Amino acid sequence: MYMSSKLTKALEFANYRTTLNVQHNNLKAKVQTLLNYSINGGTFEISQTLISFVQTLIDQQHTKAVLLDVYNNPIEIDGLADFLEEIISRYFEATNEYHAEYTKLRKSRKVHKLIDLDIDD
Amino acid sequence: MTKGFLMFAHNNDEIDYLKLAVVNAYLIKDNCDVHDITVVTNQASYDYTTNALGKDYVNNAISNIIITEKDKEFKVANQRMYKDTNHTAKPLSFYNKDRADAYELSPYDETIIVDADYLILSDALNNCWGHNNEFMMNWSYEDIMYEREDPTLRKLHPTGITMYWATVVYFKKGNFAEQFFKTVKHVRDNRQYYQSVYKWPGNLYRNDYSFSIAAHMLGGFKDRAIPQLPLPTLYKTFDTDDIHSAPARNEIIFYLEKPKSLGDFMICRWKGVDIHVMNKWAINRISNELMEYTSGN
Repeated sequence: MYMSSKLTKALEFANYRTTLNVQHNNLKAKVQTLLNYSINGGTFEISQTLISFVQTLIDQQHTKAVLLDVYNNPIEIDGLADFLEEIISRYFEATNEYHAEYTKLRKSRKVHKLIDLDIDD
Repeated sequence: MTKGFLMFAHNNDEIDYLKLAVVNAYLIKDNCDVHDITVVTNQASYDYTTNALGKDYVNNAISNIIITEKDKEFKVANQRMYKDTNHTAKPLSFYNKDRADAYELSPYDETIIVDADYLILSDALNNCWGHNNEFMMNWSYEDIMYEREDPTLRKLHPTGITMYWATVVYFKKGNFAEQFFKTVKHVRDNRQYYQSVYKWPGNLYRNDYSFSIAAHMLGGFKDRAIPQLPLPTLYKTFDTDDIHSAPARNEIIFYLEKPKSLGDFMICRWKGVDIHVMNKWAINRISNELMEYTSGN
């Protein structure tokens, strides 16, 4: 890749730690976005708490329930089993991606590796 | 229920807003799978951009183009300083008057208004469709370079109301949304009075201000009464930042100006999260790269 003088200067000035934090923040933003789930006019943040609560309701033989969403609005969920399957699937998708990207970040020891720029060391 | 996106794109002497809207329309189609996209522009902008990009290219991106007349007096009066990093600053016309007319202009039952420079790099806004909240917009925002804090972007006045961002607005047609936009127009048309009450700084007309005041009034004069969008927050960069490239689908490499060393940059790869890019020149410089990864290619 052609390395412009502007890029060279930016890399010279870039602080590894700050870049790491900015890249980590981007990852967190992406994961938080993926963990927002709208259904039946409400929005839920998929969390371990939500998953456990829905599992508890199912264990108590409930098939439908009214859950409070992120706006504290009551949202009726008819088909708790399907809802649980959906939120678990989304949870795994988001956290697995987070894990893969975070591991890659942690192993990157240079600024250009943190941002995955293909230039010579 | 019909649903669609709405953008406003009026070019000025330097910024091809309609081109930004075209790029964003392709990003919306690819990421949100929503093909009903309306752009409100004016004849001069339409002629300029279709000459540059080709009519078919523009019409493939945007399903509905609405041509409006510019208010010439407003156009001349509403000038703001545009920056292409801290190295270049130019006062240019900022034509944003007709966003208040979104309710009448939108052909959809459910509409998401987005700025042409709010780049859609994910399907996060699909969480809005069919929502119980009839009107949503954000007061919460984060600069992606987390060390920079600008308190003037949090409130209209240090002791005043919270500032909402009119950058992204979801509304469902109905009494509330209709009343909301009527109130925005009322504020827009009586700026001097509302500025004396809410004390926002400067002479520039900003939709962020009029939407914030409408939110305050229709929220029963309570701060932060209008619900936010189903997003973690709005992410933004400043016009003092620049863009290096768009190396892959939904990825942008930014130069972010260092807060303690103005004019120097650090670098960041932003992936898969929608972002408000304030440096319009920078988007136009990489618009062809951005398009390479969309169906507009």
